[in-house]
Amino acid sequence: MKTLITAIATTATVLTYAAVAWAPAEDDFALAGESRVHDAAVASTSGLVFDDPGAEGELIEQYCVRCHSDRRLQGNLSLEEFDPTAPSNDPVLAEKVVVKLRAEMMPPPGARRPAGDSLTALVESLESRLDAAAAADPNPGGRTFQRLNRAEYQRSVKDLLGLEIDAGDYLPLDTKSNNFDNIADVQMVSPTLLDAYLTAAAEISRLAVGNPTATPLERQYRIPRWVSQSERVEGAPFGTRGGTSLVHTFPADGEYVFRFSFHHETTGTAVGNGRSSLATPGDPEQVEISIDGERVALLDIDRWMHVENPEGVEMRTEPIRVTAGPKRVTAAFVKRMEGPVQDLVRPHDWSLASTAIAGEYGVMQLPHMRDLVIAGPWDVTGVSDHPIRDRIFSCYPDQPEQRPDEARACAAEIIDDLGPEAFRRPLTDEDREALLGFYDMGLEEGGFEIGVRTALEAILASPNFVFRFEEAPAQIELGETYRVSDEDLASRLSYFLWGLPPDDELRSLAAEDRLSDPETLEAQVLRMLGDERSEALSTRFASQWLRLQDLEKVHPDVRFAPDYHQQLADAMLRETQLFFTHLVREDESMFELYTADYTFVNERLARHYDIPGVSGDQFRRVDYPYDYRRGILGHGSVLTLTSHAGRTSPVLRGKWIMEVVMGTPPPPPPPGVPPLEETSDEATEGRMLTTKERMEVHRANPTCNACHRFIDPLGLALDSYDMTGKWRIKENGVPLETNGELYDGTQIDGPAALQQALLDRPVLLLRAFTSNLMAYALGRRVEYYDQPVIRGIVRQAEEEDYRISSFVLGVVQSDAFQMQRAGAVSTAAANQH
Amino acid sequence: MRFITGKQIERRTFLKGVGATVSLPFLDAMVPAGRGSAAAMSEFDRTRFVAIELVHGCAGSNDWGASQNLWAPAEVGRNFDLSPSALSPLDPWRDYLTIVSNTDVRMAEAFEPNEIGGDHFRSSAVFLTQSHPKQTESSDVFVGTSMDQLYAQRFGQDTPIPSMQLCIENVDQSGGCAYGYSCVYTDSLSWASPTEPLPMVRDPRVAFDMLFGAGGTPEERAVRRRTSSSILDWINDDMRSLRRRLGPNDHERLDRYLDNVREIERRIQGIEAQNTSGEQRELPEAPAGVPDSFSEHMRLMFDLQALAFASDMTRVFALKTGRDASARVYPESGSDTPFHPASHHGGVEERVLDFAKINQYHVSMLPYFLEKLSEIQEGDSTMLDKSMIVFGSPMADGNLHNHRRCPLVVLGKGNGTLDGNLHVRAPDGTPMSNAMLSIMHKLGMDDMEHFGDSTGEMALTMPRTSTDAR
Repeated sequence: MKTLITAIATTATVLTYAAVAWAPAEDDFALAGESRVHDAAVASTSGLVFDDPGAEGELIEQYCVRCHSDRRLQGNLSLEEFDPTAPSNDPVLAEKVVVKLRAEMMPPPGARRPAGDSLTALVESLESRLDAAAAADPNPGGRTFQRLNRAEYQRSVKDLLGLEIDAGDYLPLDTKSNNFDNIADVQMVSPTLLDAYLTAAAEISRLAVGNPTATPLERQYRIPRWVSQSERVEGAPFGTRGGTSLVHTFPADGEYVFRFSFHHETTGTAVGNGRSSLATPGDPEQVEISIDGERVALLDIDRWMHVENPEGVEMRTEPIRVTAGPKRVTAAFVKRMEGPVQDLVRPHDWSLASTAIAGEYGVMQLPHMRDLVIAGPWDVTGVSDHPIRDRIFSCYPDQPEQRPDEARACAAEIIDDLGPEAFRRPLTDEDREALLGFYDMGLEEGGFEIGVRTALEAILASPNFVFRFEEAPAQIELGETYRVSDEDLASRLSYFLWGLPPDDELRSLAAEDRLSDPETLEAQVLRMLGDERSEALSTRFASQWLRLQDLEKVHPDVRFAPDYHQQLADAMLRETQLFFTHLVREDESMFELYTADYTFVNERLARHYDIPGVSGDQFRRVDYPYDYRRGILGHGSVLTLTSHAGRTSPVLRGKWIMEVVMGTPPPPPPPGVPPLEETSDEATEGRMLTTKERMEVHRANPTCNACHRFIDPLGLALDSYDMTGKWRIKENGVPLETNGELYDGTQIDGPAALQQALLDRPVLLLRAFTSNLMAYALGRRVEYYDQPVIRGIVRQAEEEDYRISSFVLGVVQSDAFQMQRAGAVSTAAANQH
Repeated sequence: MRFITGKQIERRTFLKGVGATVSLPFLDAMVPAGRGSAAAMSEFDRTRFVAIELVHGCAGSNDWGASQNLWAPAEVGRNFDLSPSALSPLDPWRDYLTIVSNTDVRMAEAFEPNEIGGDHFRSSAVFLTQSHPKQTESSDVFVGTSMDQLYAQRFGQDTPIPSMQLCIENVDQSGGCAYGYSCVYTDSLSWASPTEPLPMVRDPRVAFDMLFGAGGTPEERAVRRRTSSSILDWINDDMRSLRRRLGPNDHERLDRYLDNVREIERRIQGIEAQNTSGEQRELPEAPAGVPDSFSEHMRLMFDLQALAFASDMTRVFALKTGRDASARVYPESGSDTPFHPASHHGGVEERVLDFAKINQYHVSMLPYFLEKLSEIQEGDSTMLDKSMIVFGSPMADGNLHNHRRCPLVVLGKGNGTLDGNLHVRAPDGTPMSNAMLSIMHKLGMDDMEHFGDSTGEMALTMPRTSTDAR
């Protein structure tokens, strides 16, 4: 017989705020005597078990119910009625208990805790009972059909036609849920949305086929002011600097005008103007416009441009003849010299730190391009062939006017070619007939090409393209569970792993109903993971899970981070994406996310990270030459997106770790509290407060401390990274203090200790990862009934050394992925505490 | 062009004339000068309605801020002094200004312990519905039908587009909505029904194309409309047969989609009808996209609304100027504190004043719109006379997340239903919905008995007496 529980008397000094936090103990009492825990009954991973059937209830009674009572309702929850021997009576509550126990956040710090492993035994017995109950009555859940969100629409169009578009030009913003943009139940429909899809279909079909009747339109490409103009931008010809480079699809052969404007000072003169210009009247700055690498215009900049001029701080080319199709257009400065530009003691990397100070005498500045506008076409002469047209016109009739039958047969061939890929299923006779009807309509309007274009417009506007319908067996009753068809499974799979419609191989396997065969399915998953299209797991899934898109919302204060600019931010994003792609492609362990002693950098990022010996724009894998930076918690992307503009934020970083890495989001802050880190900014005793001291000031407030003792130490351990992720040892001239005490008493003093503390909670990390992967894969939030599945996937992954593929396979093989329950549209509300 | 120091004005992004045309059904040419009075016209020319959310309250709703009259002026009635107030940019327009102070938006408060702290994620949905949102992250959202939609549903069928929803700030921030609330509560002001939030359009170009159609020439627009019509017919038939093959989870959404199909068909027909009856007028150049600066973005959105009113494409707009939790900095306001931290001023006087600067900056966007509307002359009156612009917030003191004494003003004359130059202070405890109920009565929905948590009407004009010159 093992004795797992001994008595500890602790004075609970937990403090409350509102009714949401955990409670203080009003009257302390010591646990008298011992509870006995025996080997028996419930199997659990650590082998710890309770013998006495009453022991678990007693444990909860003694250590939980004093705060989580019907009366006190701390954390808005009562455990009075909770029966740990039958947790499936209230699985929602039971799963909440499991998370808090697994995180070792309950009982809260300072409160009495049972000794030894009895809490572990409790949580394991809860889990195994929940898992057993779920195995007996599995619930795969369900959702309504998904629609192509912006990213999926854009990628699907690219896949179908080879055409690059920005879906943001047409579609309203996606509603997110659980930080993912593909959660079905919030993808509501509206007239605005329908209208947007119709407009998009009209525009895209015209761009793709070309538009011989195109009228002049403008397309503006903005250049963020954070783009440094002293460096070449990606895609631009060598020997240029700044500006922009992009792929633009020209709708027809005709004349186009390229306009670009410049940033100007507050007084209205162009930045890098006469006074501060490096150029001289005899040797002006020049902008080169090139199309597919070939110069089409070279313009001298008037360095006395002013917003009050008729043309403002803007220049334009003469009309330039361009043929139809996608072309790389670059507008960039001709690079004349190497080396620093500004005449400063320490030149900045970001070349437009301010438009207010630019005009100082003696400070040299470069002109900064602000946008590029492509206007046209005028004087249209037709539509030349280009790769997108070649792809669409798999056949082309001779003299279509003379031989209408041949032309119609060709149109039918084109429809048969594009239709099934767009609809992700074979076309029906009705589809074919309707689409040929659109061909006829366009034919009448303007001939064969317009006919094909109209059919394409109908394909793109069709709900069969825009929505991912999944058919159900006939006469299905509410509550019944059914397997999704192989066809729909193919789409689920391809949008999960590739963010694209299924390819020919998937579609033909599905057509033969072979995809759902377990061996075939596994082989297909492995094929797809090895394919380069699986970058979607990185650029779509991981980017959203890790919230990388927030990077573009943070612009570190130039006074503190004068070297931060757009190219560096882009490199940071790319680093994390390449790293995750590497984990997928090489099928590394999930823990590598947090432990990798290597990363992917280019020269600029390597300089940021103090890694010597990297030159050039190319990203490559490098080992860190030091031992502090490890895994994504050392990535500039994550560290920057969790910072404020003017300082690091242990709160944001800690919150990010709790939400993203650990899957234990802290409760909301109560109203009426001041911003945490602004409680005290002032210096004391002749020096600035360190971040830790500022943290302590706010944590002296009991209301704040109730949660922030969980959040802050996690983030503080990363404070040796500044707000752009650069390593530092001092802050405001004062040595850093990054040491703190984790909520369970573990001392942590920096990134390495934090890493260890997280790895000591592998279950949390594994489940947080799996649960996010699953939500993204399913297009729905994970619910309590998914938790047993998640635990099962983690268990299986253990046998495969937690390789990424084992999680992906686990998700794909789950009932949740392959089945639907009719009427099981999610109902879970807040799941915060 | 005059250049204002400290502001970056991108001339080109403002709407200006180019070749395209649109039909205008109601032009001053149609009403001989001096004949159509505003009242007579209002019979067939409904009030244009705009609702603008000023997010996250104002400095003048803070106790100290109220004592300094940072929002509501000290005096009620006509002789109020706006100089200390964030409303001071509206002083030149005071004849069109009705200040409604001291109303509460209690439906935005937390009802349950679970809801405490969720104010940011709940409030926006309350503003125009004055109803309490059901806490859910799922599709079972429920709040109320918003006042702009009640109006649009009653009268909006006269115009091709019943209403439009616009926003300024990006809404897809991760972690941007949380605490058990679906993002749609945070991001949607307009609710077609308690379960149907309407998405808001941020890109002025997209809004322009929705209003006037994409395509460079009238012929091109006509071809597109014809094709769209046929596509909608096909979708309608196709989806009806598909419906049988879908599971029960999907029926409701598909049905809603089919309703949308019919609505877009109706719009296309409406535009066709206008085109055959109206007079062609030159349409401005479409804006290029989303501008960087807040003021530029706001002005473009105002341009679009004025244009839509002038061409009678729609008569109802909702505009969301930001998000509660936004960290956006408004350097042009004179404060360099990010918005959300600025709102949490902790009651410190200096910081309350700092927040007031941002409020004032937001208010200072409005005169541009008022001017645009006043320049549209129709018969005897201007579009500003015919418009009613509700500008307010469901939050009061952002620092405390309270919803008492919320900011609210109404601009325009509402087709003669508002006097302007008036400050009305509600008795303590008056719900904002009382003011909104009265507004809806003035919009012609005089049979409405209650709205949200309203307890009655609220007078928004001076009592008429025989000595009243007006």
